Amino acid sequence: MAFRNTKRSWGSLSKGLHWLIVLMIINQWVIAARADALPNGLAKLQVLGWHKSFGMTILILAVIRLAWRLMNPTPDLATETKPWERVLAKISHFLLYALIFAMPLSGWLMSSAKSYSVSWFKLFQFPDLVAPSEALFQQMRDAHHLLFSALVIVALLHIAGALKHHFIDKNDVLKRMLPFGDVK
Amino acid sequence: MTNYRIAWVAAATLLAGACSAAETPAPAPTTKPAASRPAAAPAAAAPATAQTAPASPHYVQSSGSTITFTFVQEGAANKGSFKQFATDLRYDEKTPASGSLTVKVQMASVDTGDKDRNEMITGADLFDAAKFPVAQYVASSFAKRADGGLDAVGKLTVRGITHDLRLPMKITRTASGLELAGQGAIKRLDYGIGQGDWKSTESVGDEVKLEYKVALVKAP
Repeated sequence: MAFRNTKRSWGSLSKGLHWLIVLMIINQWVIAARADALPNGLAKLQVLGWHKSFGMTILILAVIRLAWRLMNPTPDLATETKPWERVLAKISHFLLYALIFAMPLSGWLMSSAKSYSVSWFKLFQFPDLVAPSEALFQQMRDAHHLLFSALVIVALLHIAGALKHHFIDKNDVLKRMLPFGDVK
Repeated sequence: MTNYRIAWVAAATLLAGACSAAETPAPAPTTKPAASRPAAAPAAAAPATAQTAPASPHYVQSSGSTITFTFVQEGAANKGSFKQFATDLRYDEKTPASGSLTVKVQMASVDTGDKDRNEMITGADLFDAAKFPVAQYVASSFAKRADGGLDAVGKLTVRGITHDLRLPMKITRTASGLELAGQGAIKRLDYGIGQGDWKSTESVGDEVKLEYKVALVKAP
């Protein structure tokens, strides 16, 4: 499997970033659910510390991923793909990229507004984006939740599309993104 | 509690007075027995000099004073401040050793930029502001530092626990009086700030940095 993308398939770095971000987003959801169940206190601080560190990791990976996408060919959709499918794919891919930036950024804003600065696994500290403000914190928290709902919906559409390509259209679109899948 | 504090301050003042009184007649042993009669005169003069020795000028806090602290929480430095505190300073730049400083901080006036955390920090496991509403720093003298600044030599009491604490500071003249400014550090667990789970320093560091800038005017 090539490191870079080709016009026919995704390279190993693109695949790695795709699946790593998928796993990290699921992990984020699990951690967030745990934090939500905890009362304000030390345990919640710790769990949210992990959530923020992983979130900032996703943001860093998102930057790398976008840069890599712009530096590489994007594999073409199967030739028989209908125009409406192409449009839908473009929109959903754009939204997924936007969301992997917007989710961590809204979380970072949320932390800054709440005056709980963000560190990366206690190794270094990110600067605060805004001055403390309870009103802004509440807006950003709502945004963070809303964006997550949007992410779930678009991700489900994305999965549905991939499955349609695989099982109905019987093309390589899903296979070429699978970790060890390869196309000739 | 307040009565006790007044008694303590009074006792300290008496003790300090006794010490300075003891210092003044110190040359007495060198006095020859023959001079026993004239010695009565200096002995009578001694209390007079003690009375006329000018006390260090008295200053009180004015607006624009800040006490902020920085603590590390989950690897990130976070800031907080106290909104209500009172400072009382006796200071003469020529004789800093005879100066004194008292700062009383209202623990419930803490602001960390988040109301939830303010509630948490004033709670029983941390400041316990209901039981220990006031933290107090009392310095009985100032020592000169090599860098030209001063160290207040005093004791800090938080949550009813007292430890010796030297706080570095610079005291400078301003148009309206004096400004006292500096940075110090304490270990929160020395003062019991952190009971139960909070004794762990894994999430919230033990060291808390202090930063103070107090504007002072001559006491009326």
